[in-house]
Amino acid sequence: MVRLLLDPFGDAYMRRALVEILVLSGLAGVVSVYVLLRRLAFVGDALTHTIFPGIAIAFVVGQSLFVGALLAGLASAVLLTVATRIRRIDHDAALGVLVGAFFSLGVVVVSTQSSYTSDLTALLFGRILTVDTAEIIETTAIAVAVLIVLTLVHKEVVLRSFDPIAAEAMGYRVFLLDLLVNAVVALVVVAGVRAVGTVLVIALLVVPGAIARLVSERIGPMLVASVAAAGLCGYLGLVASYEASLNHGVRLGSGSTVVVALTIAFILTGGAAALLRRRGAGTAAPGSAVP
Amino acid sequence: MRILEQLGSPLIRRALLEAVLVGALCGAVGVHVLLRRLPFFTLALSHATFPGVVLASILGVSVYLGGAAAALGLVLAVAAIGSTRRLEASTATGVALAGAFALGVLLQSAQSSATRNLAGFLVGDILTVSTEDLAMTALFGLVVTAALIVFHKELVLSAFDPIGARAAGYATTRLEVLVLACVALTVVTSLRAVGTILSVALLVTPALAARQWTTDIGPVMALAAAFGALAGVGGIAASAQWNVAGGSAIALAATALLAVTVAVQQARTLVGRQASRHGSKSRELAS
Repeated sequence: MVRLLLDPFGDAYMRRALVEILVLSGLAGVVSVYVLLRRLAFVGDALTHTIFPGIAIAFVVGQSLFVGALLAGLASAVLLTVATRIRRIDHDAALGVLVGAFFSLGVVVVSTQSSYTSDLTALLFGRILTVDTAEIIETTAIAVAVLIVLTLVHKEVVLRSFDPIAAEAMGYRVFLLDLLVNAVVALVVVAGVRAVGTVLVIALLVVPGAIARLVSERIGPMLVASVAAAGLCGYLGLVASYEASLNHGVRLGSGSTVVVALTIAFILTGGAAALLRRRGAGTAAPGSAVP
Repeated sequence: MRILEQLGSPLIRRALLEAVLVGALCGAVGVHVLLRRLPFFTLALSHATFPGVVLASILGVSVYLGGAAAALGLVLAVAAIGSTRRLEASTATGVALAGAFALGVLLQSAQSSATRNLAGFLVGDILTVSTEDLAMTALFGLVVTAALIVFHKELVLSAFDPIGARAAGYATTRLEVLVLACVALTVVTSLRAVGTILSVALLVTPALAARQWTTDIGPVMALAAAFGALAGVGGIAASAQWNVAGGSAIALAATALLAVTVAVQQARTLVGRQASRHGSKSRELAS
């Protein structure tokens, strides 16, 4: 059993993949709790799509994909924040339009290339096994920056999540706070693009927070549970994909295996929580601190 | 216009017809998506059809069947996660979306010819539409349109005032399921034309554009269908002209329609404001 869990990391490329996924899990685990608090699941998903044209254009003109993703991510964070504040148009509709427009733009740009299909697949699903040291450093830099920002504005963001009117009345700039949180989500998407691809990064942004919410309703423990769940599933997903691909002849993509591990963890936690609640139904008073 | 020269090709004619049918259907159904604030759910639904489509293509059964089965699975999963009460709807939708999509990619990667059809499922491949696909689109379109027309009054009432509709004795849950089923069927139908990711663009954008012109639901639906069909034709023409991906060109054409709509409406508001200012000034002079 120990051999099964340690063996895959004999090769340098697997160790790099492990470091990348652990850094990313720590980052996404923390941000995931804010995504849950601020109900940003759709915004997160929208950002994974709106970042795509940036990557596509950078790819076509031969610039760094990272820079392309970063620029598109920050630009779309601003657009999303502005679009969701237009009174005449429903939030969700505005997001739907932006997702469709940005993503199609990316596809149109990529479709002018001859190696269309395989490029698109690589951009969408990432290739964590080819991560190099420079990319790990980029991811770590993003993680550190995001964690510092979140530590600084934690109190304000929590207040804004639970009571936006009070936050406004107390003189906080709600628009700027929203923009900041959306930009943080965009940064996580940018960091996750290579590891698990634009499409699957949404799982890292939503599922760990949801698992944590099943475990606790206090924000501190939720942050710990979220990071732990993301890290553990990242590790187990890599092991499972390595084992299945090398020793059982079933090629499982590593990024998607990580996401499936997260989903299984969510289902198990949900089942356990339901069982515990049923057992303690008479004693504990139902109450929720999280919206 | 290169599209006019290519009209002789049955390939292009089939693509045009499919684009018009799918565009009109998505436009009309999209009005209900907006009324019930379902855009995120629609996006999740479109992603969730993906594992079904992949599994169906591995097993060699109809991709429509696989997509529809997966869509049904997603509706049940969201309902199950949402019923725990500790997680609100958008988180439940996000979790189900991510899990379903990863499952699709995993299935696809376990197959030997990994990347072969992937992009086609994701962003559509409208030029490969066959006559059977067209027949399927027309059939699904008729079923959905008939359902929307027959239950129009009940659907609109329960969207605007669910409590009132329930009090008036309508089965609101069943109506909700009917709308979700219509959306799911529409997403599955548009697989061929615009793929799993972009169907949300056709389901939201034309309806939103139509909504800016009038607020009467019947006319909005007709206008949205017209906008959708127009985006279909425009997208295919652009795709033929500049040799870019068809499905995405359709989505971008829909976005352009919305942009023009918003610009015209803004201009009208400005002109109207000026006119009323002018009018009040001349009245003041007259008195």
